[in-house]
Amino acid sequence: MSAAATTHDHSHGADHAHDHHEPGFFGKYIFSCDHKVIGVQYGMSGLLFLLLGFFLMLLMRWSIAFPGQAVPGLEFVQSIPLIGPLFHEAIGRWAPGGVVNGELYNMLGAMHGTIMVFLGIVPLGFAGFVNYVMPLQIGTIDMAFPKLNMWSFWLFFVSGVLMLASFFVGTGAVQTGWTMYSPLASTTNMAVTNIWMHGHTWWLTAMVFNISASLLGSVNVITTVINLRAKGMTWMRMPFFCWAMFVTSFLLLLAFPPLEVAALLQLVDRVFGASFFLPSGLMEGGQHLDISGGGSPLLYQHLFWFLAHPEVYVLILPAFAILAEVIPANTRRPLWGYKSMVYAALTLGFLSFLVWAHHMYLTGMGTMMSTYFQITTVLISVPSVILLTGLMISLWGGSIRFNPQMLFASAFLPMFGIGGLTGLPLAFTFIDLALHDTYYVIGHFHYVVAPGTIFALFAGVYHWYPKITGRTMNDFLGKLHFWPSLLGMNLIFAPMFIQGMGGFHRRWYDGGKYFEQTSGASNWITELSSNIFGLFGMDVPNSLLGLNVLMSVGAFILALGQVPFILNVFLSIKGGKKITSDNPWGCTTLEWATPTPPPHGNFTFEPVAVRGPYEYSVPGCSQDFLPQWETEPGKAATAPASTPAPAAHH
Amino acid sequence: MDIPYTVTARPDTGLYNAKVGIWLFLASEVMLFGGLFSSYIFLRVGADYHWPVHELNVTLGFVNTLVLIFSSVTVLLAWANLKLRKIGQFKMYLAITILCALTFMVIKSFEYRAKFSHYAVKLTDGTFLTGHLEDGYEIKFGEASKFTLTIYAQNSGIKADPVNYVLPLIEGEAPKFKTEAGDEITLTKATFQELQKDALVKAEKAGKSTGTIKLTALTPVTIHAKPSKILNYTDTTISFLDGTVAEGKLLDDKMTLTVDGVDARSVPDAENSLAWNNHYLGESWKKAFIANRDHAEEEFKTKYPSRDPLKSATHQKEAYYLHIESSTPPAAEGEAHGEGHKAEAKMEEHSEAHAEHSGHGPKVTLEKKDIAFWSNYTPKLNTYYAIYFTLTGLHGLHVVGGAIVLTYFLLFDGKMLREDPERLANRVEVGGLFWHFVDLVWIFLFPLLYLL
Amino acid sequence: MADSPEEIYKSIKKIKIVGLLLGVFTIATVLLSFWELPTHSLNILVGMILATFKAGLVALIFMHLNHESKMIYKILAFTIALAFALFFLFVFSAHDPLVFSGLYDSNQ
Repeated sequence: MSAAATTHDHSHGADHAHDHHEPGFFGKYIFSCDHKVIGVQYGMSGLLFLLLGFFLMLLMRWSIAFPGQAVPGLEFVQSIPLIGPLFHEAIGRWAPGGVVNGELYNMLGAMHGTIMVFLGIVPLGFAGFVNYVMPLQIGTIDMAFPKLNMWSFWLFFVSGVLMLASFFVGTGAVQTGWTMYSPLASTTNMAVTNIWMHGHTWWLTAMVFNISASLLGSVNVITTVINLRAKGMTWMRMPFFCWAMFVTSFLLLLAFPPLEVAALLQLVDRVFGASFFLPSGLMEGGQHLDISGGGSPLLYQHLFWFLAHPEVYVLILPAFAILAEVIPANTRRPLWGYKSMVYAALTLGFLSFLVWAHHMYLTGMGTMMSTYFQITTVLISVPSVILLTGLMISLWGGSIRFNPQMLFASAFLPMFGIGGLTGLPLAFTFIDLALHDTYYVIGHFHYVVAPGTIFALFAGVYHWYPKITGRTMNDFLGKLHFWPSLLGMNLIFAPMFIQGMGGFHRRWYDGGKYFEQTSGASNWITELSSNIFGLFGMDVPNSLLGLNVLMSVGAFILALGQVPFILNVFLSIKGGKKITSDNPWGCTTLEWATPTPPPHGNFTFEPVAVRGPYEYSVPGCSQDFLPQWETEPGKAATAPASTPAPAAHH
Repeated sequence: MDIPYTVTARPDTGLYNAKVGIWLFLASEVMLFGGLFSSYIFLRVGADYHWPVHELNVTLGFVNTLVLIFSSVTVLLAWANLKLRKIGQFKMYLAITILCALTFMVIKSFEYRAKFSHYAVKLTDGTFLTGHLEDGYEIKFGEASKFTLTIYAQNSGIKADPVNYVLPLIEGEAPKFKTEAGDEITLTKATFQELQKDALVKAEKAGKSTGTIKLTALTPVTIHAKPSKILNYTDTTISFLDGTVAEGKLLDDKMTLTVDGVDARSVPDAENSLAWNNHYLGESWKKAFIANRDHAEEEFKTKYPSRDPLKSATHQKEAYYLHIESSTPPAAEGEAHGEGHKAEAKMEEHSEAHAEHSGHGPKVTLEKKDIAFWSNYTPKLNTYYAIYFTLTGLHGLHVVGGAIVLTYFLLFDGKMLREDPERLANRVEVGGLFWHFVDLVWIFLFPLLYLL
Repeated sequence: MADSPEEIYKSIKKIKIVGLLLGVFTIATVLLSFWELPTHSLNILVGMILATFKAGLVALIFMHLNHESKMIYKILAFTIALAFALFFLFVFSAHDPLVFSGLYDSNQ
């Protein structure tokens, strides 16, 4: 019977429970209430948006390295039938002659941030993985509210469509950075025929949809974890994955509403002419604006960062969640310090709400506030370090299998380490005053999120792919994906620290070409890069400016590196190596006890957790892992469900 | 394979799923309204103007509070009766709850309507004149014959559309236009599109990203435009929302306001406010203002001898915010008027009772140069009204949402009522929890916005 | 949760009394707002205490938070702590007690 139709919340009566009708194509794959389908939907759209955001970044990087020069291929793409005109409307019309101008650069910047954070990583890393894996890991048949789950995805989808559609509005997409700071964001581009047909208005509306989607999603996740854990699945037997996702859900649940407030108030500011974020006497172009004033730009920043700092942990906790599964599975060692990692994650979740204003040291909000936030910011590095250390020590003494997921996982550790450590100086006001809004900050958070989180997400894709499709991804293509990605990421983000300390501002669309005072400086790294380019016959200046070229080359390598991944994802569906067991990696958690792929209702037996989640290499055991569901250790540990269930739709 | 714990509670947590869900949702709502309330605090603490106190209609707010509290009781009674399987009573109480929600929204809409038709004009010296624009407010622009339309090839939020944005503002019949090529045309969608195409072709040839169309009206026209229908204007030009610019002469942009109040709290020298200018309210109203102020100050002194009148928001309002009820100033006798005024100031401001009164205030014709800012009582007026509308609007949406859910339980859950009343009781309980939360928010909203 | 009929009858009585109490306190709030205390802030304080009391009644009796499962208390405690952080830090940022007035301030 259909699990969806008998949920408490939305069923239209008990009758559905009695008829066994199979849902049609739409019910099964499009408007499905099955957590696994929704997980895959979220994951695929997340990957798509990541690719889109990456593409916007490539345009930006070109403009930074080669300002005023036409982007190669931009004119050509516009001449392709069907796609060309669409592309022209979105991007091409802003780039006369193929040259990215300042307006377009601002749009790309704002949308790159928005798409990556709200439409890429959160849907893939949080919603995608949590929907697919979490109910399996805690041994339940579905999420607590399957219909809400479907609504969550489709609200997210609408928000994505609105966000992309904002490129096609007459004004183009929003131009004020992903942070949308007022008063600039409340007053720019107001001369429009219809304020509702404005990229900015669409952005804000899309955010309201996006927030509602994550709200439904997180309510669902928390309820499922609290109320639907299988027999024997006590809190401390829950895999760390579920713990981290549980904390993440709380962050989404409680941090997003203030952003919704900020978006709503800014919408009221722009559409109805209110002055929530506009101080008295504000002038633009020598003219008093037609506003009442009396508001405060600080209010916007408080509301925004109250979300946006926990959001950083929303981005990073799923990464830890995934690695806590991938690393023990591939080192054949238990996760080191499971308990302390759980408590660290909980502490991290709580503290993450109390650090937001360290993004606002430069606003003049007051010394006491700054001092307070310095302290909390330094405090929060403690749980973060515990998490990272736990993962790192888990490697110790393991017999590591270097398959693609483990490569990504092991690269994550130093990469995230760099990102985290470079963040420490930023916690202090006096250093932040100098580095604020420079490329140093960009380098810092990209190290956390790009080679950090995104690598972990890749690891997760490689790890759970066999569960979803029944086939593993290709190993060689995986390695071909990993090495260029690692090289590319570092080439892009490492020089940012040098540029940032040299005073490069993050929003220069020409990459600093007209700021000779800062961009003319040189050091041995710039010299090295200039010399290397010289070997290839390229004339790259020996200055901080020259590093732009190096970074753009890195971006290009990174782009090439994603080709094997895309091929791998699609080709392996039919062409990958078929797995012979339901538990190909020899894991201990419950998702590997289901048939592959898991049928509707997931389990063919009643799952019971009899021990902790990470029992690898247990002394005296005949094999090197002891699954949570295995009631008779000593016997060969195979899932009782290895014969495919008759109900499996496939 | 059913999802467990949809009806009964899980033993170790003691909760059924929907209850966990609704409390999580409410936690999120606490943060949503928490964000709004802290915005309220932030704006109020940092306000650089006199934060309105007792400006809304307290009676309506009070009635609405009682309505919501009553509905909170009835939704609980509905649940209790369902638990006792008294179906008739259950339905009755649920219906009463929904009716309460409707009543609440109707009262709210009356409150909103009264605000939208009420205006406040800030003069350049900081005096506020409040009142009604009985004849509306339009900018009159005459002798306009030359129209310049800018056609953006792309990249613009402004899109020339004279048929929708210019022609409706022209007084009388739309005239015929002469194009640059010398043709005489009537402006319609079709003719405009043709012109647009030509202009774009020309622009492309010249290598420009914008084209222009120049039209000359055969007979000069007069334009009447509400300020919201145009972008801006000068003495000789007027630009419309679609970017079209017309040349001509500004005939009239004076505003005729039927005054129902003078708020001189922000003026350093209230006795010399622009409002007492001879062609505005004049000397006799000034006298009334001074009499009212002196009376209020004296009264304050006798009532609270030890307090600083400057620190009393209520006193400031009574002394410096003159409410005008008739078209002629009262004989400035002091006592009698002062008493009457005090009583009236308390309960009746800006109620719809005011709309009935509105014909009675004196009419003043304000010159544009004296107006610093004006708006009706919408979010634009000041941050207080902005947060008022946002908070109550969002709260109203919650009321509507809750009412829809309860209506669904009443009308479409008949089958569950017969077959599994315990489950419906759970649903009503969850819906009720949401409903109480809406009530709870209002309990804070009412004093913060209406009373304090 | 009241499940036996007697308990439900009892709770109906309680609900009605609390409803009445809420009405009475609403009237009190309105009257109080017209009675001027020494400072307006005091008015606000007293008004908010009354409102909080009313809200407490609604939460405890109507939403039966007086006997709810532990899990709900944990979630709400967390939420309310954060909401308060939101309130107070905003206020601090407007009134900074640590402002350094500077060495060259001529008024000192």
